Amino acid sequence: MADTTQLPNARAAWAKTQFDGSATRVALGGRWTLANSAILEAAMQSLDTQGAELLHIDLAAVDAIDTCGAWILHRQLRRWQERGAQIELVSTSDAQASLLERMGVADEERVPLLRQSGGALAELAIRAGMAATEVAGEAKALIAFVGATTVCALRAIRRPGRVRFVSTVHHIERIGIDALPILGLLAFLIGVVLAFQGADQLRAYGAEVFTINLLGVSILREIGVLITAIMVAGRTGSAFAAEIGTMKVNQEVDAMRTIGLDPMETLVLPRLLALAITLPLLVFFANTMALAGGAVMVMLGLDLSFEQFVEQLENAVQLNTLAVGLIKAPVFAVLIGIVSCYEGLKVSGSAESVGLHTTQSVVKSIFLVIVFDAAFSIFFSRIGL
Amino acid sequence: MTGSESDSVIRVRGLVTRFGTQTVHNGLDLDVRRGEILAIVGGSGTGKSVLLRTILGLKSPDGGSVELLGATLEALDEEARRPVLKRIGVLFQDGALFSARTVAQNARLPFLEHTDVDHRLVTQLIRVKLSMVGLPQSAGAKLPSELSGGMRKRAGLARAIALDPDILFLDEPTAGLDPIGAANFDSLIRDLQQALALTVVMVTHDVDTLCAIADRVAVLVDSKIIVGTLDEIRAHPHPWIQAYFDGPRGRAARTGLAVSAGRAVSEGI
Repeated sequence: MADTTQLPNARAAWAKTQFDGSATRVALGGRWTLANSAILEAAMQSLDTQGAELLHIDLAAVDAIDTCGAWILHRQLRRWQERGAQIELVSTSDAQASLLERMGVADEERVPLLRQSGGALAELAIRAGMAATEVAGEAKALIAFVGATTVCALRAIRRPGRVRFVSTVHHIERIGIDALPILGLLAFLIGVVLAFQGADQLRAYGAEVFTINLLGVSILREIGVLITAIMVAGRTGSAFAAEIGTMKVNQEVDAMRTIGLDPMETLVLPRLLALAITLPLLVFFANTMALAGGAVMVMLGLDLSFEQFVEQLENAVQLNTLAVGLIKAPVFAVLIGIVSCYEGLKVSGSAESVGLHTTQSVVKSIFLVIVFDAAFSIFFSRIGL
Repeated sequence: MTGSESDSVIRVRGLVTRFGTQTVHNGLDLDVRRGEILAIVGGSGTGKSVLLRTILGLKSPDGGSVELLGATLEALDEEARRPVLKRIGVLFQDGALFSARTVAQNARLPFLEHTDVDHRLVTQLIRVKLSMVGLPQSAGAKLPSELSGGMRKRAGLARAIALDPDILFLDEPTAGLDPIGAANFDSLIRDLQQALALTVVMVTHDVDTLCAIADRVAVLVDSKIIVGTLDEIRAHPHPWIQAYFDGPRGRAARTGLAVSAGRAVSEGI
């Protein structure tokens, strides 16, 4: 008989109760939309039905109702029903009724929408364990891949006709010739920096001329090959992983298999072969450029002639020094090739996976190059080279 | 709903689209009426998806004008676009879900961006949307990569209708679904359109979808667009349209309609 609830901002959306005899009428009106969600929730909270058993819900004055409004109403109806009230909807349009009906399905399951976690500590342990098993699985898979590559390479030796020479030459051009400008500049500058820093330190002992010994030994033994390998891992390894990965995503690799082409033979072997041929040559080039950079710096900074530089260099290094550096190059080449092709072939499904494995290929090949370099150092010092 | 919008929620006038020397659209006019389902069809390379992207403001037209809900998106800056963008939902071909977020987080994003609705209510509304598009609640905690293609589409649809938009855009909604899944998706869209009073604009290749749910059909031919009801379009003499509906697929879809019509007649007797 009387309004019991008047709401804030009643013009936007409202709900009020009226009592007439046996039934309680709940009249709703205004815009029952997402924009008014706060008003609607407050309205439903403050609505007092005085424990009525029969409720008539009247939607006649509702101008607009969307999912949010329907859900808030549905939630309230459910509360009343749980309390034992009987509900009757009056003056609902078909659209309103069908929208309200759809709300029911959302009640059934109460599965959490968020991921379950067992606390930070448990999470940490779980992730550490998962990472450990992943590393172990990864190592196993990589060793298996090395085996598969070896088998493929041995088969190629028995039947050299099957090696893709055109593809190999194409890769040699891309890995080698295209990399010359950037690698040359890089090596030259490193030579300059080494000579500058070396001369600076050795000057204190009056032994500047030994800068040339420092240059010769460090560049030929370590720096030249390391710089080249790291650059090739970044430049070529990533390209290999991305190329093969994209082919994986496009199902080109699957298509090859169905046609009877072996991806190991067509994709991996030419790349490996090209790398193994090109990397030693690139190392030699980088050595030359780095020594040239050092020579320029020494000649300018120490007032030595080019002849003096060459003479001192001859005293400092033997053929062994160069060989120690160069012998590592094919090993690093195979490392980079295997890791990047392996990562490329591991790509699955999405473009996202291509990016992930490309990054992985660079990180892993640089890591392995440095680990193997350290192992070589220990080995060479043991055998007295 | 203002008077200036009248009954056309989208108004394209004299649209020109060029790629290099190739003209894809040349003086194209299109009106989309409030509350209808409009299907855009056309051969490969006729610029269906480009038209959709232009309407959405993702590509600026090379000529002509595009009005979306009474606003010219092209002339507006990011801030001024927001109220318009809030009123549209888009389902991209493969869902275009944000891959680093779960389905529920994907559906939550429009709420965070455009509203200040109470956190608990948002969670409940996401549950409602998931069930409306026919996803189990357990899908909410999953990442897009853990879902099948059909489920990703449904999840994308849940995100698109999160804010109860006025217009829903669908880019090839049934591509990549099996016939049963496609038919289910068709009826889902029809249901949602009726329940939420949506205007639906979709690009499709699927003759079945066209016959099942489209109120009007827009055919892209000769850099222009021909719009009409299904029957009007079918009667159109243009050779591409004839080939489209008279091809084996078109005939099959039409036979399906004829059969159901025939059944209605026999029941009438």
